[in-house]
Amino acid sequence: MVATGLLDHPFKEAYASKAGALPGATHAWVDGLRQTARALLNTAGLPGPKTEAFIFTPVSDLAKIPFIPAASADDVDVRDVPLNVPRIAGASRIVLVNGVLNAALSDNIAVEGLRVESLKQVLARDTLSVKPLLGGLAASASLPLVALNTAYMADGLVIRAGKNFAGAMLHVISIGAAGAEPVAFHPRNLVALEPGAQLTLIETHVGLPGQNYLTNPVTEISLAENARLKRYVSVAEDDDAFHFATTSVALSAHSTFNAFHAGLGGGKVRQEVRAAFLGTGSSAIVNGVYALSGKQHHDFTTAMDHAVPHTTSSQLVKGVVDGQSRAVFQGRVLVDRDAQKTDARQLHKAMFLAKGPAVDCKPELEIFADDVQCAHGAATGELDENHLFYLMARGIDRDTARALLVSGFLEDVLESIGDEQVREAFSALVQGWLKRRAMRRAA
Amino acid sequence: MIEIKNLHVSVQGKEILKGISLSINAGEVHAIMGPNGTGKSTLSNVIAGREGYEITQGSVTFAGQDLLAMEPDARARAGVFLAFQYPVEIPGVSTSAFLKTAINAKRRAEGLKEIDAMEFLKLVKAKTKALGIADDMIKRPLNVGFSGGEKKRAEVLQMTLLEPKFAVLDETDSGLDIDALKVVSDGVNALRGPERAFLVITHYQRLLNYIVPDHVHVMTGGRIVASGGRELALELEANGYAKYMAAA
Repeated sequence: MVATGLLDHPFKEAYASKAGALPGATHAWVDGLRQTARALLNTAGLPGPKTEAFIFTPVSDLAKIPFIPAASADDVDVRDVPLNVPRIAGASRIVLVNGVLNAALSDNIAVEGLRVESLKQVLARDTLSVKPLLGGLAASASLPLVALNTAYMADGLVIRAGKNFAGAMLHVISIGAAGAEPVAFHPRNLVALEPGAQLTLIETHVGLPGQNYLTNPVTEISLAENARLKRYVSVAEDDDAFHFATTSVALSAHSTFNAFHAGLGGGKVRQEVRAAFLGTGSSAIVNGVYALSGKQHHDFTTAMDHAVPHTTSSQLVKGVVDGQSRAVFQGRVLVDRDAQKTDARQLHKAMFLAKGPAVDCKPELEIFADDVQCAHGAATGELDENHLFYLMARGIDRDTARALLVSGFLEDVLESIGDEQVREAFSALVQGWLKRRAMRRAA
Repeated sequence: MIEIKNLHVSVQGKEILKGISLSINAGEVHAIMGPNGTGKSTLSNVIAGREGYEITQGSVTFAGQDLLAMEPDARARAGVFLAFQYPVEIPGVSTSAFLKTAINAKRRAEGLKEIDAMEFLKLVKAKTKALGIADDMIKRPLNVGFSGGEKKRAEVLQMTLLEPKFAVLDETDSGLDIDALKVVSDGVNALRGPERAFLVITHYQRLLNYIVPDHVHVMTGGRIVASGGRELALELEANGYAKYMAAA
C-alpha cells in the first residue's frame, strides 16, 4: 500500500473538533479503537486503485468531497419514510436518519428476549457488554473502510436476541439526507444472537435527492451455537450517493447465516460480506442481485473463511448492467488446513443489457485442506438467443420476451428468499427497476 | 394450408436443404422420416423462424402469407407451432407466467379480451389433467428440472392451450418411454381435426403407431426422396433407410 499522507482522508478536519463528543470517548478502550483507526487512516489514507482489495472500486477520491459529519448538518429534517420503502407485514420498523436512530419514525419494540438500542445509548451507559462485539469481528487494521467507520462512528444499532429467542422480524430503514453541504455518516451496528436464537433482519437503504452523502456502515454479527439469522439488504441510494457497507459475521457451531443483498442504485456502492466459520456445522448462504444503469458502480465483495471442519458456504449472485454502469464481484473463499469436509459453492452471472457497461469478476479460492468440495463459476454475457427464440416461437413479441427473460434472470435468485413477504417486496423493487428501464427506453 | 416450394437452406455456407417441396392441407397429418443429420430439424427451425439459416431459394406460404418474411412471434400468432425437440430450460420464468403471456399475446392478435388469472387457472387445470401433468409443474420455472417426458408433455400442453392451425412436432418421441409416448400422442390426437394440420418429424416409425399419418415422406441428404401412405413407414421399419440413402 502506498502511504499517501495526512491529507488524503477527508474527514480529519471536520471531525477534529468533535472527537471528544463522539460516543464512548470517555471509555479508554473505545477511545483506543478510534485512535488506532485514525492513526491507520493518517498513514495509509483511503485505498486507491493500487490496493488489491479496492482495485476495481477505489475510494480515495472521497477525499475530494468536502463532507461534513452528518450530526453537524442541523438543516436536515426528515419527517417521513420515503414512499419507495416497502411496508413489510409483521416487521417492526426501526428508522435511522443519517445513521442516527429516529425514535419518532420507529416502531416501539417490546418483545421479551429481544433488545434493540442505539449504540450511542449503550455506550453512554455500560460499554462492557458490547466490548467483545465492537471491533472484535471487523478489524480496522485489514479493512480501511472499517477503520474509517471506527474513527468516526457516531451511532448505530445494537440488536441482541437472548437464548432460544423464537424469532422476530425487524425492518431497519436507513435514510441518507444532506442539507446544504454533503454529509458523511458511519453507523456501527452490533448484532448478537445467543445460543438457539432466531432473528430476521431486513435492511432498506435509501436516500433523499439533493446534496451528496456518504454512508459507511459496519455491522458486526455474532451468532452463538445453533443461532439462525436471516438478513435481507436492499440498497437503492440516491444517484450520486456513496454507500460502502462492511459486514463481518462470526459463526459458532451449527449456526446459520442466510443473507440476501440487492444492489439497485447509488453512485458508488460496495457491499462487502465477510463470514468466519468458527464452529463445526455452521453454514452461510450469501446471495444477491444487482441491476445497474447510468453511471452507477456496484461492488459485491465476499469473503468466506472456513476455519474448522464441516462448514458450508453457498453464494449465488446475478446482475444486469445497462448504460455505462460498472459491476464488480469479488468472491474470496478460504479453506484452512483443518477445515476438512468444507462445502463451498460460488456462482456469479452478469448479463449485459447494453454495450457500454463493464463487469469485473474476481473469484479467489485458497484451499489448504484436501477433503473438500469447492465449486465456483462465473459467466458474463448477453441474453440467451435460444431462450428468446423459444418465447417468440410461442407468439410473445421480442420486447416482451426480452423483459420476461431479464426479469427471470434476476427472479431466479430472488426465489431463494425464504420469507414470502420479503421475497415479494424485493421482487417488487427489482420489477420497479425493470419498469423504470422500460420507460426510459420508450421515452 | 402450408405450401413449401423448392426450399434451399444453407447454414454457414453449407447447403442443408436442397429443394424441399411439400404441400399440407388442413386436416392432414404428414410425417417426415429420415436418418439423423439429414435436415429434418433444419426444416422445422426454418418454418418456426429461428435465426442462423440462410434461405437461398424457394418459398414457404402459410394461409396465403409469405411465412419466411415474418418474425417468429408473428408466425406463432398466425397459428404456426413448433414442438421443440429440446425445449430450453429458463430459470426464473415461471411456467404459468409464460403460458399466460403467450395465450394473451395470441388473444390480443385475434382481437379478443385477455384472460384473467382465474380463467387462466381453470383453463390450464383442465388441460394438465388430461395430459397427466402434475398441478405444481406450472408453478415451477419453465422446463427447469423437468424430466425428458415432462418437457415433451409441457410442449403438448402449450400446443393444446395455443390451438395452432399448423403444428410441427420435431422428434417429439425422442426420450419418451412407452407410457409417456401414449400420453403425448393422445394429446396430439385430441387436437386433430378438419381445420388443423400437423407435420410430424421422427426418426422412428414407433410414434406413427400412435399418431397415424395420412402421408409419409422420406428425407435424406436434404431432399424428400420418397412419399407415400402409412405403409411407407412400415416398410422403413422393416428395411431401414439404406435403400434411400443410395438414392440420395
